[in-house]
Amino acid sequence: MSNEVKKKSPPDPNSAKFKLGKIATDAYVDAQAAKDRGEMIGWCSSNFPVEIPETLGLAVCYPENQAAGIAARGGGERLCNVSEDDGYSNDICAYARINLAYAKIKDTPEQNMPEPDFLLCCNNICNCMIKWYENLAKDLNIPMIIIDIPFNPDYDVSDAQVAYVKAQFMEAIKQLEELTGKKWTEEKFQEVMEYSGRTSRAWLAATSEAKHTPSPFNGFDLLNHMAVMVTARGKKEAAEAMEVLHKEYLENVETGNSTFRGEEKHRIIFEGIACWPYLRATSTGLKSRGINMVTTIYADAFGFIYDDFDGMVKAYCNVPNAMNLEHARDKRVKLIKENHVEGLLVHTNRSCKLWSGFMAEMSRQIAAECEIPHVAFDGDQADPRNFSEAQYETRVQGLTEIMESKKGGC
Amino acid sequence: MSGLKESLQKFHKIASSPKEQLKNYLAQDKKVVICAPVYTPEEIVHAMGMVPMGTWGADIEIKEAKTYFPAFICSVMQSVLELGIRGEFEGASAIIIPSLCDSLKCLGENWKSSVKNIPFIPMVYPQNRKADFGKAFTKAGYERVIADLEKATGQSFDDAKLTESIAIYNEHNAIMRQLSDCLNDYPEITAVDRNAIFQSAFYMEKSEHTALVKDLISELTKTEKTANNKIKIVTTGILVDAEDLLKILDDNDMQIVADNVASESRQYHVDAKPAETALDSLSCKFADMDNCSVLFNVDKAIAQYTVGLVSKYQANGVIFVMTKFCDPEEFDYVMIKKACAEKNIPLLLVEIDRQMTNYEQVRTAVETFKEILK
Ligand code: SF4
Ligand code: SF4
Repeated sequence: MSNEVKKKSPPDPNSAKFKLGKIATDAYVDAQAAKDRGEMIGWCSSNFPVEIPETLGLAVCYPENQAAGIAARGGGERLCNVSEDDGYSNDICAYARINLAYAKIKDTPEQNMPEPDFLLCCNNICNCMIKWYENLAKDLNIPMIIIDIPFNPDYDVSDAQVAYVKAQFMEAIKQLEELTGKKWTEEKFQEVMEYSGRTSRAWLAATSEAKHTPSPFNGFDLLNHMAVMVTARGKKEAAEAMEVLHKEYLENVETGNSTFRGEEKHRIIFEGIACWPYLRATSTGLKSRGINMVTTIYADAFGFIYDDFDGMVKAYCNVPNAMNLEHARDKRVKLIKENHVEGLLVHTNRSCKLWSGFMAEMSRQIAAECEIPHVAFDGDQADPRNFSEAQYETRVQGLTEIMESKKGGC
Repeated sequence: MSGLKESLQKFHKIASSPKEQLKNYLAQDKKVVICAPVYTPEEIVHAMGMVPMGTWGADIEIKEAKTYFPAFICSVMQSVLELGIRGEFEGASAIIIPSLCDSLKCLGENWKSSVKNIPFIPMVYPQNRKADFGKAFTKAGYERVIADLEKATGQSFDDAKLTESIAIYNEHNAIMRQLSDCLNDYPEITAVDRNAIFQSAFYMEKSEHTALVKDLISELTKTEKTANNKIKIVTTGILVDAEDLLKILDDNDMQIVADNVASESRQYHVDAKPAETALDSLSCKFADMDNCSVLFNVDKAIAQYTVGLVSKYQANGVIFVMTKFCDPEEFDYVMIKKACAEKNIPLLLVEIDRQMTNYEQVRTAVETFKEILK
C-alpha cells in the first residue's frame, strides 16, 4: 500500500484509501439517487446521531462535509461572499456561510448536493449550528428537527442530561417517522449499532497504530478519512473499509513503511479542524521539517462504542466540543502519551468560537502535564482570508526548534 | 422638576458604579453572587438571602483576558473575564454563568483557571425548552445551581422563599415594562437616561430598584407633557449601553420607544406563573421565553416581533446594535433585516464593541439614517 502512495500509481480498488474515498463520494450520489426516486432527503449536522437516519433508511447529506470540500477545492471565498452580500457577517463560521450561500445558489462546480426536504440539527458541537439551521429552515421553508445536547460543564454526563437527550432522540424518531413514512425497527437499529461499533473499533485500532515509531501513517490521512467516520459509521462498507485501513497500518508497522513520506524526525498532535483551503501548505510546512502529525482528537472522538440505546445517547453527549476543559484535556493527554507526541500545534480557528475559546488555557495545561512545547497559528477551516502562510511557517519553525533542542539535537 | 432630576441621578450613579454597589452590599454583611448574562436565575440567589448582581462586562481595555480568549470572542465575554481577573468582583461568593451561546460556554471554562477565588457555577439551559422533558432539564439545572450555591455560600434554599422572590421579580418585570411605555410620553428623558435606568437594575436588589422606578414614574407623571417631535426608534441587540452611541441618538433627536435588547426589555418579557412548586414555576418561565437570539426558535419569531414593535409603537425605524463577534445576533440580523425590508421599515446596523473609542463612523451612519427617516 505504501508503494501506491509513493509512486502515485492509480489507486488500488482494494485499498482503504480507495474504499473510504468511494464511501464519501457515494454519499452524495446515493442522496441524489434517493431524491430522484422521489424520497425525502435531509441535510444533517455532523454530530447528529447518524444512527437515526441510517436506521430509518433515510439518505442525508452533510453540509459541513460539503463546505470542507468546497473550501479545499478553492470555492470557499466565493461562497462566503454570497452570504456576506446577504448580510451575514464575515465573523460567522465559514461552514455556515458557505452552506447558506449554497442553499441559495444551489449549484457549485466544486461539490453539489441535493436540496433538502428536512433538516437534522444537533448542537453537541456548537450552538452556532442551531442558528445556522434555523435560518436554513426559514429560508427553505422545511422542517427542522433538533436534538439539543448542551455543553457539559462537568466531567461526567449527568442522569438529567441523559434523560433529556434520550427524550429528544425518541421525539426526533417520531417526528421523522411521521414526516417521511419510514419506520424505526429494533432489528435495523441493532444492525446499525453493530456496524457503527465495528467501524469505530477499527478506527480506534487503526489510529492507535501511531504508537509505533515511526508511525505507519501520516496523520493528515485521518483528516480525510474522518468524513466516513462522521457520516457513514453505521454502514457495512464503512466497517469493512476501516478494517482494511487497520490492516494496512499493521502491515506498514511490520514492513517499516508509512504513508508519511520521508524521515519522521518529530511527532506532533494537531489541534483543530484542518485549514482546508491550505491543506497543501499546512502539510508541507510539517513534512519539510520531518514532522509527522501522528494524532488528533478525531482519533479518539469518533470511537462511538456502546451496547444499547442509552449508551448511544451518552456517547453523543461526550463528543469533544460538548465536554468541559478537564475532560477534553485528559483525552488529549492520553493521546499524547500513548503516541509519544513531542509537540502540540494548535489551529486557532477563526470560524470556531467554541473550539478556540478555551484552547489557550487547555494547551497550557496539556503542555505542562506532558512537558511538551505548544504553539498556535491563526487560520480558518474554510475562509481563505484568515490564514497567513508566513505566520504558520514561523510558528511551526518555532515549535521545531524547541522540539529539537529538547532532543539535544542540532 | 428637581424631584425628577434627583430621581434620575440615582439611576446614573448606580449604573456607573457597580463596584461601589458590591462593596456596599458586602459592608452590610450580605453575600453577593455575580450573574453573568443571560437569563441567569437571579430569583434563586435572591431566595437564598443573597444579592444577585448582574454583569455585562465594561468598557475597559482587555489585557489579561487575551491570554484566555482569542480576539474573535465578543467584548462582553472578554471584559467580564478581564473584570474577574482584575479583582473587580472581589468579595463575591460565586459567579453563575449560563451556557446559552458558544462564547458563554468558554467563559465558564476559562473562569475556573483565571479567577480561582470566585467559584464558577454553571447553569445549563436546554434549547428544546418548551416540552416537558425540557422543563425537567431546566429544573435539574436549577437544582444543581442551588446545590452549588449552598456549598459555596453556606446559605440554604427554601421553595416558599422562592415564591416570595418570584413575586418580587414579577413586580419588577411589570414596572420595567410600564416604565418603558411611560417614557414614550416624556421625550426629555434621553437615551442615556433610559439606559441608566435599565442598567442599574443589574446592580441592585430588585425590590429597591422597583421602588426607585416607581418614584421616577410618579415624578414623571407630575410633570407636564410636552409635544413629542422626536424620531421614534426601536433598538434591538444584546447591549446598547455605550454612552457615546446613546449620545449620538440623543444628538439626532431620536427616542427609543421600545427595545428588544438582551440587557434591557428581553429581561422583562416573561413573568413566572404559579405552578406546583416555585422551582417549577421558574422552569416554566424559561420555557416561555422567546424572541431572543440565544433561544432556539425555528420560526425566527424574533423577526416578526421586531416588526411588531415598530407598528405597536409607531416607530420610524429600527437600529440594530450589533455586538461585534456575537454570532447568535449575526444570524438573526439577516432575518430581521428581511422582515423589515418586507414592511418597508428602515433599518440601520451599527456594530460596536466595548473597546471602541471612535464613534465618528457611527455618528455619520446615524445622521444619514435620520435623513432617511425624515
Ligand atoms: S466549525 Fe465550529 S462553529 Fe462551525 S460548525 Fe463546526 S463546530 Fe460549529
Ligand atoms: S450572546 Fe453574543 S454578546 Fe452575549 S456572550 Fe454570546 S456572543 Fe457574546
